[in-house]
Amino acid sequence: MAEAKQSLAVREGDASAQEESQYLTFLLHGELYAFGILHVKEILEYGRVTKVPRMPDFIEGVINLRGEVIPVVNLASRFGMAASQISRRTCIVIVEVDQETDSQVIGVLVDSVSEVLEIAQDSLRGAPSFGASIRTDFIRAMGKLGEAFVIILDENKVLSVEEMTLVGQVRDAAMEN
Amino acid sequence: MNMDAALQTFFSESRELLEQMESLLLQLETLDEASRQESLHGIFRAAHTIKGSAGMFGLDDVVNFTHAVESVLDRLRNRQLSVSDALVSLLLQCRDHIAQLVDSAEAGNHDSTIVKAGQPLLAALQSYLVAGAAAETQAPALPVSEPPPFERLDSDDVASSECWHISIRFGHNCFRDGMDPLSFITYLKHLGDVISIIPLAEFLPTVSEFDSESCYLAFGIQLASSASKQEIEDVFEFVREDSILHIIPPRSRLQEFVDLIEAMPQVDQLLGQMLVTSGALTENELQRALQLQQQRSSSHQPLGEIISSTNAGIQPVLQAALDKQGKVRDTLVKEQKSLRVDAEKLDKLINLVGELVTAGAGTSLLADNLGDSALNESVSVLNSLLEAVRDAALELRMIPIGATFSRFQRVVRDIAHELDKEIELVINGAETELDKSVIEKIGDPLTHLVRNAIDHGIESPAVRAAAGKAEKGTIILNAYHDSGNIVIEVSDDGKGLDPELIRAKAIEKQLVDENAVLSREEILNLILEPGFSTAEKVSNLSGRGVGMDVVKRNIAELRGRVEIISQVGQGSTMRIILPLTLAIIDGFVIGVADEQFVVPLDAVLECLELKQQPDNPFDAPYFNLRGQVLPLIYLRHCLGVEGRYPARQNVVVVQSGGVSAGLVVDCLLGEFQTVIKPLGKLFSKVGCISGSTILGNGSVALILDIHGLINTMTESEPQLLQ
Repeated sequence: MAEAKQSLAVREGDASAQEESQYLTFLLHGELYAFGILHVKEILEYGRVTKVPRMPDFIEGVINLRGEVIPVVNLASRFGMAASQISRRTCIVIVEVDQETDSQVIGVLVDSVSEVLEIAQDSLRGAPSFGASIRTDFIRAMGKLGEAFVIILDENKVLSVEEMTLVGQVRDAAMEN
Repeated sequence: MNMDAALQTFFSESRELLEQMESLLLQLETLDEASRQESLHGIFRAAHTIKGSAGMFGLDDVVNFTHAVESVLDRLRNRQLSVSDALVSLLLQCRDHIAQLVDSAEAGNHDSTIVKAGQPLLAALQSYLVAGAAAETQAPALPVSEPPPFERLDSDDVASSECWHISIRFGHNCFRDGMDPLSFITYLKHLGDVISIIPLAEFLPTVSEFDSESCYLAFGIQLASSASKQEIEDVFEFVREDSILHIIPPRSRLQEFVDLIEAMPQVDQLLGQMLVTSGALTENELQRALQLQQQRSSSHQPLGEIISSTNAGIQPVLQAALDKQGKVRDTLVKEQKSLRVDAEKLDKLINLVGELVTAGAGTSLLADNLGDSALNESVSVLNSLLEAVRDAALELRMIPIGATFSRFQRVVRDIAHELDKEIELVINGAETELDKSVIEKIGDPLTHLVRNAIDHGIESPAVRAAAGKAEKGTIILNAYHDSGNIVIEVSDDGKGLDPELIRAKAIEKQLVDENAVLSREEILNLILEPGFSTAEKVSNLSGRGVGMDVVKRNIAELRGRVEIISQVGQGSTMRIILPLTLAIIDGFVIGVADEQFVVPLDAVLECLELKQQPDNPFDAPYFNLRGQVLPLIYLRHCLGVEGRYPARQNVVVVQSGGVSAGLVVDCLLGEFQTVIKPLGKLFSKVGCISGSTILGNGSVALILDIHGLINTMTESEPQLLQ
């Protein structure tokens, strides 16, 4: 499927027509995942992350994004897998998610960023009811890429501030008892 | 000038003036004679300006009502009426009514019910006017205009005309500015009767030069009015700059000169000179006249003789009047020296300054590493300038809490009246400055607390007398800075909170278990729980069981907390403690392993070395600080920092809320101008971190919340014992 592949650099002009079906794919423990390109603001090389004490494991810490302090989520831990090890190819994908009242910018730690893919609407499949490696409500759709599938994530669910805060509280409560 | 924009300015200005009016009215009763007179002038000016501007925009409802208020105020300041409690209350109501009228005008609807609501007020005002008028017939007629001496001086040489003569020549750009000359003349009718209007055709250009968009209108107007010169002048306020305006008081012998001069070709300049000689003019008119005098020094020679012959006796009066006007102008200038700026622009500036400070820190770090002395010097100059810019920028956002506090004068007054209680409000620390965003959000919780204090706290005078207390209750509003926090207190000397009663009520409402063991503090804090109310009967002010929990929630949103201190029979104090959510603080950087943290410098008392001794191992729970027991907090453990232990550790002695503790850290890195970056909602539950900042090397450091840290340690203590 040659037409599905496109270089990382997306030309501004034709972006509007294609954005609907463009995705940024990345690897996590060897498996391919994707965010909708509209949610991705930029991709950073892994730099120094400041740990924040008393937070759940999947909160990697905070980074300085041109003067703004933004949280970084270790996506592998968030999915309940072993935390990603930092390597030369580790990246932080800056994602904008819509919360109840406003939008929040969150960094997502991934093993490596692959490419921007264009996936036609009719190549999308619903999430399997079971058998996926992650919680099914995190999956917006499965994108068919030839023989393989890419898991297209629901950014707002995966990076829900409310839920992530709750996880921290539940853990605190568990520790107290 | 765009009329729509001008209208908006009018609305916001009116609100400011109304606020000013309110605070002045509230002070009236407490002031001595001299300052009271000053306040009355202030109130009158405010009402007058509103009326004048409203007239410009044809807001007749506002004009009509304000006119009545203004008349009473005028009698007040002329001492024809005396200040009384009832009158002040009436004027306060009138003020509210004007505010309503202005609001409805802004909403764009002509609401007759609001106008009707003003009728009783108008009637009440009328009674003051009538009563005063009776008194006036006995008293000698009082001059109406602000600088009165001129008219009386001239009274021996009165012209037959009882009218003001107004000569107005509108500026050429009048139409382009969106002004309608007719509206000014129409508005003059509010001041009195326009007897005649004579168009002056001298200024019309020839047809070939005539520009249809320019305004060449000039009028001579005869006005029969009791208004002061200033009032008439104010009518033309919006066109003052471009227009040439002359107002000649009635009964002035000037009138003769005017008649004489109007026939002359250089009408305006000569008229100006005439006015100088009579003294019936304002400073800027005189200035203009002087300018013209210089321009045409040769042509007005004969007139100069007239001046010298006529004004010999008037000169001192003129000088005094000019001095007085100069003073008035000075204070006006001072009052108006503020500038309206969009809050968003300010936020943007603060953000930029924050980034600038961070970038500056990075640059000085690099310069340090390079070791070039010239570069270092220039960087240090740059940094000191940066600091100055930062301080100035932050100052912009800081507002003294005084304005918020004084709003409560009215609240206390009104509610106390309603409940037949005597309450005095004392304000301390009005100059304490808070970040604008905090001030905006603190109003509602404060209102709740003050209302509660009036309603539940202060007893009725009879009960107070029986308890041996002064009949007049006191509510104190206080604000101060305390180790990086801002503390706002609402205290009353009322009946206080009864822990037993609260406990019983809480059990009744099933908020706590009957057998629960609670400390006094915990019991008092129960009143902050949702659904709790101790008032035995519900009043229309408070006692519905909502309120205190809202206060708690609002304060929590500001990341602050509420403390309650109370003694039965002696009163209670509600203490709101807010963090400085302000953008920049002085911080003290400490290092633990590879991590760096910032402690607010205000909280730091001293730093010591933690000596390792055989009987005092690294993990001793406390430290001997000059004979005092100082509990230690090992940040390494507490914050879960991993890394090698250093050869020696240090103790930073910190204090918060009266509790001292020692923070055990690896190294002390010194002071740092800390730009606070909020950590966002995700981290809102982290008790011991209050925010973050960006260090010179671009990495993020967390700011420790000392109070939270000590609390966390205190709370975890019992668990360790188990």
